[in-house]
Amino acid sequence: MSRQSNRATDSKKMNSELFTLTYGALVTQLCKDYENDEEVNKQLDKMGYNIGVRLIEDFLARSSVGRCHDFRETADVIAKVAFKMYLGVTPSVTNWNPAGDEFSLILESNPLVDFVELPDNHSNLVYSSLLCGVLRGALEMVQMAVDVRFAQDTLRGDSVTEIRMKFIKRIEENLPAGDE
Amino acid sequence: AEICITSMDNYPLYIRSIPTQGELKFHYTVHTSLDVVEEKISGVGKALADQRELYLGLLYPTEDYKVYGYVTNSKVKFVIVVDSSNTSLRDNEIRSMFRKLHNSFTDVMCNPFYNPGDPIQSKAFDSIVSTMMVQAC
Repeated sequence: MSRQSNRATDSKKMNSELFTLTYGALVTQLCKDYENDEEVNKQLDKMGYNIGVRLIEDFLARSSVGRCHDFRETADVIAKVAFKMYLGVTPSVTNWNPAGDEFSLILESNPLVDFVELPDNHSNLVYSSLLCGVLRGALEMVQMAVDVRFAQDTLRGDSVTEIRMKFIKRIEENLPAGDE
Repeated sequence: AEICITSMDNYPLYIRSIPTQGELKFHYTVHTSLDVVEEKISGVGKALADQRELYLGLLYPTEDYKVYGYVTNSKVKFVIVVDSSNTSLRDNEIRSMFRKLHNSFTDVMCNPFYNPGDPIQSKAFDSIVSTMMVQAC
């Protein structure tokens, strides 16, 4: 087994405003192109999925977490390691359902939405849909099928951002993941 | 009192007055003060663009009002009109009002759904301006 790769364990610093503005430009351009909020949500999710299937490799190389034994461990790793590493925020993991296969990530702040105010004509837009896709794509590459959606969103007037993640099943067949 | 923000082509992006009666008088005052602003910024040829140069100070006093100006390097102009009877407002306070306005304006600019040149409709901006105006009057 080869040693952990030589990727720098400290990420290169970049201005977060550039990142936020880039994401904002992406969303507004999609809105202009598709003119339909549901369609934009779907596209953002697809893009997120494509990012996720690649990002998982980077994540596994940089963090040295081993295999998670159960879904709870997965939740903790996502919240404490992954979110911290890529977005610089640490959401809290709450609202486990009795079966233990669904939980919520509560984000006090979401760097993607700094300065953003949703205009009234885009009330159905789930601005951070990209994040759903990323989580879905990344977990699929480690053989977990999950459903990810936003339960609360500060852009829609809620006090926090809540991402609900539901475990669907383990993926047993080893089909190579194609791009959607 | 009134706060007005104009774009570089001098058309208004945002106007807010309290009390709302007699608004027209405020608009007129602001309009004429834009000429004074233009004069001041065209005169500044060799000046370095530091914070002090953005604040233009008291543009001109009329018998009822004091008009203050502030211009950004992107030629967006902020004008504040206050009653002359309100002597409690010192220069520092006006400066800090302009700084807050400028910061809030920058936040509005960063909203990806805002197109530069559109009238400002942001609720967050409105509430910041309301608080400021209530404090000032």
